[in-house]
Amino acid sequence: MIGTITRQQVEDFLFQEAALLDEWRLDEWLALFDTSTTYEVPTTDRPNEDPHRSQYYVWDDYELLSARVKRLKSKHAHAENPHSRTRRLVTNVRLGERSDSSLEVRAAFLIYKIRDGNVDQFVGRYEHTLAANGAGLKFRKRRAVLELEVLRPGGRLSFIL
Amino acid sequence: MTQTTAAPRMNLVGRRSPYIFEDWDARIFRVNREVFRSDEIFARERRLWDRLWLYLGHETEVPKPGDFKIRTLAGRPLIFTRDSKGQVRAYLNACPHRGTILCRETEGNAKTYQCFYHAWTFANTGELVGIPDPGAYPPERGFAATMGLRGLPRVENHRGFVFVSFALDGPSLREHLGDAREYLDFMADHSERGLEVIPGTHLYSIRGNWKLAVENAMDGYHFSPTHVTFVEYLKTTGYATSDEGGRAITLENGHSVLVFSGHGGRVGMQWEPRFGEAERLRVEENVRELTRRVGQERAARVSSTSRILFIFPNLLLFDIEGLAARQLEPIRPDFTEVRAWELAPAGESAEARELRIRILGSFIGPGGLATPDDVEAYECVQRGVVATAGDPRPEVDWSDISRGMERESRGEPARNVDEAGIRGFWRHWDDLVTGTKA
Repeated sequence: MIGTITRQQVEDFLFQEAALLDEWRLDEWLALFDTSTTYEVPTTDRPNEDPHRSQYYVWDDYELLSARVKRLKSKHAHAENPHSRTRRLVTNVRLGERSDSSLEVRAAFLIYKIRDGNVDQFVGRYEHTLAANGAGLKFRKRRAVLELEVLRPGGRLSFIL
Repeated sequence: MTQTTAAPRMNLVGRRSPYIFEDWDARIFRVNREVFRSDEIFARERRLWDRLWLYLGHETEVPKPGDFKIRTLAGRPLIFTRDSKGQVRAYLNACPHRGTILCRETEGNAKTYQCFYHAWTFANTGELVGIPDPGAYPPERGFAATMGLRGLPRVENHRGFVFVSFALDGPSLREHLGDAREYLDFMADHSERGLEVIPGTHLYSIRGNWKLAVENAMDGYHFSPTHVTFVEYLKTTGYATSDEGGRAITLENGHSVLVFSGHGGRVGMQWEPRFGEAERLRVEENVRELTRRVGQERAARVSSTSRILFIFPNLLLFDIEGLAARQLEPIRPDFTEVRAWELAPAGESAEARELRIRILGSFIGPGGLATPDDVEAYECVQRGVVATAGDPRPEVDWSDISRGMERESRGEPARNVDEAGIRGFWRHWDDLVTGTKA
């Protein structure tokens, strides 16, 4: 199946994912992940470093990602209660290498996060690995790399990047 | 026993300054909220920081000769480097000629720095080594010798932690650290080969006054309500924490430390089931080595208690599940930049390193499961303290930091869930800002 995936199918997947996040439908979002998945956000000063030997902003395995979702759904996740308004623009989608079971995807993102009178922008690129099975596409690795030098003026990645 | 209740209360003196109200009869400690809002107070703090020792960075950030990083401290752009002779240096990142930013890369390795504007070139040891068309400055007048890189007046390294001062004289770093040095040393003691900074810096900002970040770190009281979702996550991993036996200790010169003895789980030092069997063997070996090196009593303190240490005014050291250093850089009264590094025993195994990164990463930093709620707290205080500015009722524009005074007045040690550490910070800050203490 992976061999026949088109860019349009990948775009549909990413746009649907963005909508789930913008609508805070986090259980449905988590269902887009493989249980062997990782969600990664490297630091702004070491975007290419290996997470096994480097501090990251986010380096979640499926278990920690599930805990993150559970937390964000709680009214005690103070940093996101009330939720930020977000709007994600996902564009410049390119398909990269394919293996028998996975596909590399590159895309650009611009996320507006609005809360407490502030509009914060997070701009960067996605470096995802997608897998395909009968149910459609899934994330095997979901990696968001920020182009920012510093998380400033918005200093928290309390939402999903 | 009746005698002890009548015992004199040591050091429990009151205080009435424009910013701090301390009354041991009423057991009340209050901070005027103007300290978080005022441009004038912020300007005074900046002048103070020019006299104090400030944390610049860890020497392992510039491990090789020529390595450099640029970093702004107290609003001044700096070059933090190890020169070709191996000495750690700090220079103002401004060309002595006309003040141009000299180094425009954020990090790298350089034997020399050349200003792009007029191509003056400086060795990383500071000398001005090249001027185009030098005939304009006859060498016999010694011009070049006076125009070398402007080094910081004082740079000192304590067990890898590099501090600087913009002042020509004043207390030594040792004097400044005072009894906080012991706690800093506990952290450095983790490894006989010293600590090293792990690559990848958390660089973020908070829309709040820098002192709110100090209060938050010295405040065990907030942990349960603020971090309820993180505590729930920890429970699912089988990790148990308790505040029992925890202490807040006020140290000299505005430093303070929270000590946690009810925390299991310190990577490399204290094992818990979620760390796995391989880590158990490593912990046993590490503690054996530590005991040989520093003795049983000290080894127990280093390995089995967690600490959060504040070194006045800009450094927070976390010796908890893992090791971290957090530097505060005030930008405006209501805005602060934060830089945070994870530290580790130099040369530890790849498996130990990975575990350390995973365990601390779930908690700390702008993408962790806990720090964002702290940031929410700083920012909500900053937004909230505007409400009471200029209120006609004299008691309204003050924040309360009284928790634990009742116990303290009975001579009991302060708990980490009390606010004693915060009070110590404020007293020293008040002495400096009001000029009570030089």
